[in-house]
Amino acid sequence: MKYSAGVLWSLCLANYSFAAAEPLPNLDLESLMATDVQATSAMKRAQSAFTTAASLYVLSKEDIRASGAVSVAETLKLVPGLEVRQLDSNQWAITARGVAGRYTSKLLVMVDGQSVYNPSFAGVYWETLDVPLYDIERIEVIRGQGGLLWGSNATNGVINIITKNSLDTRETLVQVSSGDQLNYDVGLRHGGNIGSNGSYRIYGSVRDSDAAKTGKSLPANDEAKQQSIGARFDFAPNDDLSILTQLSYTHTDMGQNLKALSLATNQNTLYAERFERDDGRIMARAEHRVSGSSNQMLQASWAVQNGKQLYLEERFQTLDIDYQMNSLWGATQLDWGLNYRNSYLPFEENYIISSDEDIDRLEQYGAFLQLQFALIPEQLDLSFGNKSEHNSFTGWEHQPVARITWQPNIEHVLWSAISQGVRIPSLAEFDYDSAINGTRVGEYFQTGIDAIDSYHVRTVLNGNQHVEPEKSLSYELGYRFSKQDWSFDLALFHTQSKDVFAVQPNPDSANLDQIAALLAQGKIIEAQQALRSTVLEFDVASNADLNVKGGEALVAWRPSANFRAELGYSQMAYRYRLQENTQPAIGYDSDSKQIFAKTGWQPFKKHSFFALFRSINSDAYSVDDYNALDLSWAWQLMPHSSLSLTGKNLLAGSHLEYNNTSETFTVPNYIEQSVVLRFMAEF
Amino acid sequence: MLAIRRFVKLVITLAILGLASEVSAADKEAALKAGFMFNFARYSEWQGLAKPLGYFKLCSPDIEFVDTASWVLHKQRIHELEIRVSLVELDSLSINQCNLLFVPAAYRKTWLTVDRALLPHTMLVGETPDFIHQGGHIRFFLLAGKIRFEVAPEELKKADITMSSKVLRLSRVVKEEQ
Repeated sequence: MKYSAGVLWSLCLANYSFAAAEPLPNLDLESLMATDVQATSAMKRAQSAFTTAASLYVLSKEDIRASGAVSVAETLKLVPGLEVRQLDSNQWAITARGVAGRYTSKLLVMVDGQSVYNPSFAGVYWETLDVPLYDIERIEVIRGQGGLLWGSNATNGVINIITKNSLDTRETLVQVSSGDQLNYDVGLRHGGNIGSNGSYRIYGSVRDSDAAKTGKSLPANDEAKQQSIGARFDFAPNDDLSILTQLSYTHTDMGQNLKALSLATNQNTLYAERFERDDGRIMARAEHRVSGSSNQMLQASWAVQNGKQLYLEERFQTLDIDYQMNSLWGATQLDWGLNYRNSYLPFEENYIISSDEDIDRLEQYGAFLQLQFALIPEQLDLSFGNKSEHNSFTGWEHQPVARITWQPNIEHVLWSAISQGVRIPSLAEFDYDSAINGTRVGEYFQTGIDAIDSYHVRTVLNGNQHVEPEKSLSYELGYRFSKQDWSFDLALFHTQSKDVFAVQPNPDSANLDQIAALLAQGKIIEAQQALRSTVLEFDVASNADLNVKGGEALVAWRPSANFRAELGYSQMAYRYRLQENTQPAIGYDSDSKQIFAKTGWQPFKKHSFFALFRSINSDAYSVDDYNALDLSWAWQLMPHSSLSLTGKNLLAGSHLEYNNTSETFTVPNYIEQSVVLRFMAEF
Repeated sequence: MLAIRRFVKLVITLAILGLASEVSAADKEAALKAGFMFNFARYSEWQGLAKPLGYFKLCSPDIEFVDTASWVLHKQRIHELEIRVSLVELDSLSINQCNLLFVPAAYRKTWLTVDRALLPHTMLVGETPDFIHQGGHIRFFLLAGKIRFEVAPEELKKADITMSSKVLRLSRVVKEEQ
């Protein structure tokens, strides 16, 4: 059930924490351990999820464990209303309330408040995000804008992955998984005390998987080898101060099919290649209760991502520092904070990508302020605030929001919000010139000479330093109803975006008329030489409007501790308004619908079942609609060991989930049925 | 003048609401702690459980906690005994029938004056940082917004109470020399 006390919302960076609607679901020790306490006990602002004026969903650790998922990205299939598309066995395109792209998600993803968003391409490398699933406390998802609290690039939504406090993992855990595609996935974690006020855990994992059986354009090439190690340390010298430090390192070596230009033909060519990526992170956070009504938090983090693939060598470092203070004056809550982010993105030119200004750094700093108070006590709450942030690409950007909640009685809540979010251009859109699939001469004029008509002129997409940031104004309306064992949640949204990223040809870039004149004069060799030195340019522009409307509805039912079920429906219409002679850059006009059903059932003390059904109906990704069913069975062998068997994509069979061909590099594979057998023991 | 009155009225209203929300938060914390105490008792063995009473007596000097715990633990049983949550005065003889005594932080000073000889087989649960060093057995603390607890198993043993490893492994164990 969505609003059980074990399912809490607490976004650590933002002070948004939502306690449960009802105080206690049951008296199991595990449930009590999982329940957040109260408003000012730590850094978090406790507030009932039921009365929060935002479209939110919290994915519980119970569902993550029961699903048999093997990666963080895969667990997000369990979130109703999210757009989760699998490109091959490892790569994903994920977003909310928009069209997902592998490199363009407009979705801010964090692990314990540390951003994993990559500003060079405005997306997330999901395949290298290796957080041990058994150490995840919950995954918190906001569908819709989160710009006030988290800053730019959270215009479609926010995902925060919260890992368990090491105090709760002071034991040894071994998990071994294997399946028809997964050769092995072995995870090991060990935790314990440090003195009387601290605890730790260290962990590591290795994974090796085969390629899928069927590729789309080339034989599948998506085998994977991945190794991770990490550690977390928690200290609480007293009840008012807690200090968290964690670090992790993941090395990924995966196969991928990709398309990139051929030097000889200027055309997209398919390659079966490998890529390697190293991902290292370290973060520290201190949370301090200043008084019974005031808390402060300081967090610093550093991340390094180095990658190597065909034509592209990436080196990315980012430093984040955040400070925030939360105060309660009577019923008035005041939250404010400061942030600084420095991203280092050095660049080396290659055949397909060059840089106009050799920009290698993006600096962002800003502040937010939020005020929340009751217009009518116990019934009508209002909150408003603003985040202003400066970035070295486009200067100052402002993201105001106002939210109102009306709760006429304990069972009903109506909420509404108006917010403006900003997406600043990625470095690729701002500074890079990227060679794309060449333009065939025959599309412009026919000479009758095949060598010329079929010649592809080198074509480049130019980043544009005069591009405006994309501004999205969102209107949201929501209704919630909650009874003892079931609840209903409805959210409707309408987002109007202006200055949206689009692509337009630069007519002055290539003088094809001159070439045509040479041809008319019969100077074919000269014309061929001129073609070889010609570059046809397209410019990144920010002159499109985008209109997205839709909604999400979810019914949750939990008649007993042994049974839970959710049934959801979401729908979205995605519409561009383009200037003449331009084309959309991210997705295209489309309609999407999703039916979602999830259930967990424990008919016997030692046996439980879990099912996830998704019916995906969309023309946004150039693929057929599909129905996917995942089934899991878990057997509690002994008190601290279990065996589970999961079948995935049982109805969909071999299917394509993503086939948008406009993205550079991206080549999808068929996603297949698979089976995973897993053994887990804690001692 | 009218504007000032309105402002004062608004401030008072906000303050009242603030108190209300704090009470609500405190209720939740108390409810959770009552739930934890139920599990402490459920997963412990008393050599000297007060069977003559015919019920399990959970005591506290805090009326608000007693109210909350009575609601949370309504119809619950421990070792087949009904739970009764009782209001006690720490400096009275009535505490000697308690199977479990919860001492909230507000009663720290009174607790220091209590005659421990009255509590030979009582599980002593508190929440002040020095509670275990002052003769207590289990102490609640807050960590990242959640309730956690530390246990002194050797001290519990002296009261003829043995706690299950199921609970101890979730706790922070306090050794005697600490």
